[in-house]
Amino acid sequence: MPAFERSPRQFLEFLYLLTRMELKARYRGRFIGYVWAVGTPLALAFVYWIAFKVIMRLDMDNYSVYLVAGIFPWTWLSMGVTGATRGFVANAPLVKEMGVAHAVLPLSNVLQEMAHFVLALPVVIAWVVLAGGYDPSASWLWQIPLMLALQAAFVYPLALACALANAYVRDVEYLLGIAFPLLFFATPMVYSIEMAPEPLGTWFEWNPLHALMQSWRSVFQTGALDPAHMAYAAATAVAAGAIAWLAYRRLAPRVGEVV
Amino acid sequence: MSDAVICRDLWKSYRPRRPIGLKSFVVGPRSAAEGDRFVRQWALAGVNFRVAKGQAFGVVGHNGSGKTTLLSVLLGTIRKERGEVDVRGRVASLLELGAGFHGELTGRENVALYGSILGMTLREIRERFDAIVEFSELDRAIDSPLRTYSAGMIVRLGFSIIMHSPADVFLIDEVLAVGDARFQDKCRHHLREFKKRNGTLVIVSHNMAELSEICDEGICLELGEVVEEGPIERVIAGYRARSATPPPVASAARP
Repeated sequence: MPAFERSPRQFLEFLYLLTRMELKARYRGRFIGYVWAVGTPLALAFVYWIAFKVIMRLDMDNYSVYLVAGIFPWTWLSMGVTGATRGFVANAPLVKEMGVAHAVLPLSNVLQEMAHFVLALPVVIAWVVLAGGYDPSASWLWQIPLMLALQAAFVYPLALACALANAYVRDVEYLLGIAFPLLFFATPMVYSIEMAPEPLGTWFEWNPLHALMQSWRSVFQTGALDPAHMAYAAATAVAAGAIAWLAYRRLAPRVGEVV
Repeated sequence: MSDAVICRDLWKSYRPRRPIGLKSFVVGPRSAAEGDRFVRQWALAGVNFRVAKGQAFGVVGHNGSGKTTLLSVLLGTIRKERGEVDVRGRVASLLELGAGFHGELTGRENVALYGSILGMTLREIRERFDAIVEFSELDRAIDSPLRTYSAGMIVRLGFSIIMHSPADVFLIDEVLAVGDARFQDKCRHHLREFKKRNGTLVIVSHNMAELSEICDEGICLELGEVVEEGPIERVIAGYRARSATPPPVASAARP
């Protein structure tokens, strides 16, 4: 018996306020907040470029574009999930107050990171066109929103499931701290999949994150969708959604007690 | 007179549901009672009561008797093992006053956020905003970030937002009135007006004077069981009598 039923409209208002206030609070008092949101992944890409292209002499054309096109969606994914994972534990009083609607907290995290990604898109596009010499494509106007929806459908169930699991088993956030760096190299993010020796290369092909990131690179670098990879990512998103739904039914009712 | 809160044969277990880590799997808990405050099995055992609309209902008992657990079950954040709980109408609670308050945001922004957490629509928040600010006596401080507020200001703001939320039932856990004497009078007056409008109150408190002033009926809990019920004076007397002797360690209650 929830304290009150939120109407769909009120739920959306709540989600909007939560996300917006969280973003405001994060950047208030920080003069160059937006710059950090965009600059940090960019700086990271630069570090990898120095490490792999310059020092290790990795052989790939337009390596910087490969990095940049991937690192922002990756940041959305990893920050969204890891940020959401701590969400119930870090906001224990809030979780107890809310009654129901636990699902909104991870969603807010995912949307915040999506907001960062959308704000970074001009930078990504500029890089792809100017540094990479690729042609800008009008088809981006509908491809990018489509990819946004696909990734959101992918990331949110993961975020929700991890957040619920972490409320019960507090190690989850630390496990993710190991999993994401591993996945970063298993996706792969800093080299192309052809460079991976067998059997690793085949295994990496099965990584749904690879499908997702490759779809983004396909859009940015060729202006065309990658239907095979997108279908695989979508199928994984559906599976993740099913798992998250089960986890929610099983774990959400007692979250207020364990945080 | 219809009932706002009905509680029938409510049982809530105290099986430890504290979070576990891999270490516990591997190493094992250090002791049987690790992390548990109490040894008994049932936090609430066979609790029965009704609260009519427009009534104020007091819940008294020793520390650890299950009072806060009861309010959490009424609010819906904690699941019961068996029994029925029915709360009719919108519920607002002062269990976690200011949950969701953000130090970096201004009072104004926190009003919007907290109001939304409590279930208010943006329109409701806008309509009540001026009344909320006026009640909290914060004046221009409403536009300063919350981290500049004193503890008293924060509690007054939280209290004010909750008091203005469109709830039919208020659950109050030990925070009956805050601030200085004059502000406390204002809170009490507001609660009385709320009762007149057919609002229902369920109040947990250790302040017997306040309870006897505002409440009509109540229960006394001990180790999760109802040991006194009825008119508030009788309940308070029963609680006082039990306070003279130390409480038993374990209860023999079985569902």
